[in-house]
Amino acid sequence: MKHCLSALIIGTCILFVMQAPANTQDREEIDVASLGPQVGERIPEFAIPDQNGTVQTLESIMGEEGAMIVFHRSADW
Amino acid sequence: MELQERFTELRAQGLGIAAISYDTEEVLAAFAQRRGITDVPLLSDDDSAVIRAFGIYNHVAEEGIGENKDDAAVKADVEKYVSVFGANPMIVGTPFPGTFVVDRDGRVTSRFFEEFYRERNTAANIMLKLGAPISGISGSTGETPHLDIAASQSNPDITVGSRFHLALDITPKPNMHVYAPGASELGYRVIDLQLDTPDFIRTLPIQYPPSENYYFEPLDERAEVFMQPFQLIQEIVVGGSPEAAEQLAQLDVLTLTGRLDYQACDDKVCFNPVSVPLTWTLTVNQLDRQRAR
Repeated sequence: MKHCLSALIIGTCILFVMQAPANTQDREEIDVASLGPQVGERIPEFAIPDQNGTVQTLESIMGEEGAMIVFHRSADW
Repeated sequence: MELQERFTELRAQGLGIAAISYDTEEVLAAFAQRRGITDVPLLSDDDSAVIRAFGIYNHVAEEGIGENKDDAAVKADVEKYVSVFGANPMIVGTPFPGTFVVDRDGRVTSRFFEEFYRERNTAANIMLKLGAPISGISGSTGETPHLDIAASQSNPDITVGSRFHLALDITPKPNMHVYAPGASELGYRVIDLQLDTPDFIRTLPIQYPPSENYYFEPLDERAEVFMQPFQLIQEIVVGGSPEAAEQLAQLDVLTLTGRLDYQACDDKVCFNPVSVPLTWTLTVNQLDRQRAR
């Protein structure tokens, strides 16, 4: 019975830890330079519509030498 | 939109162009119409799937409205990566803003991301870093007894967070040279640009082209010099803080003044150091607050 009680307490503690908010002390520092494809790596394929409703892909926007892909936060604010 | 203005030049470099955001097609259509964007594809990633696939989804925007929103570290990151005005559900779904340049195979050849979300390279500044020729905006030209000098700038206008550049195209007169980095060890004044900047402007180290190692017979010494036409580049970042934005909001035009300091010599004589006053004028664009809906 005593063992069962201990197991119950430990189990409850584990459950509590799992449900607790992430410890913000452990947040990893953001290094923007390390995010996304690095030089030499291939970017993901995509197929999304442009402002005219035409679906664009990496191939469709590609120039003879390559492409410049700019990520904006928003055009709206 | 500068990408639209530079579209022809970028295409001339063989580069295709696309701008991706989490906006809907309708928002992008309204933006394109309002700003006269006819060439640049504005791509709608309205579920942020492409942004996530690229690995640049800005999770801080979610943290800023989540259960740890009051944590000091989260607040600091929100200010740096999300908004200086605090988190807002509207910002959830956005990327860390930045630019990838890829080759025909889709492999990244260069990338441009800034730590502070408000600071962005202008397209012209990126082109400079890619070694692509751009049509700079001509400024003043002048000459001294030693040099012809033409000042230009990458962009006619700037806004909060703009990362742009000023350029000086310098042509030494016949038989003349000026000193390059390395020559200061011999006591010569290296050619340099000194800008008088307001406190919301940050200057980066001046960029020099390769120099020549010159033998100066009268003194039997060798020094690094510029003898052929060359270009000096001064990269500049307009601050993105609320204080910087407030100061910039008071201006229609930003005038940057400075001095080109140098010492010139010909093959026999070294002349006294010279300081040439210079001025650049930039239109200040206030942030576009107009919305499509």
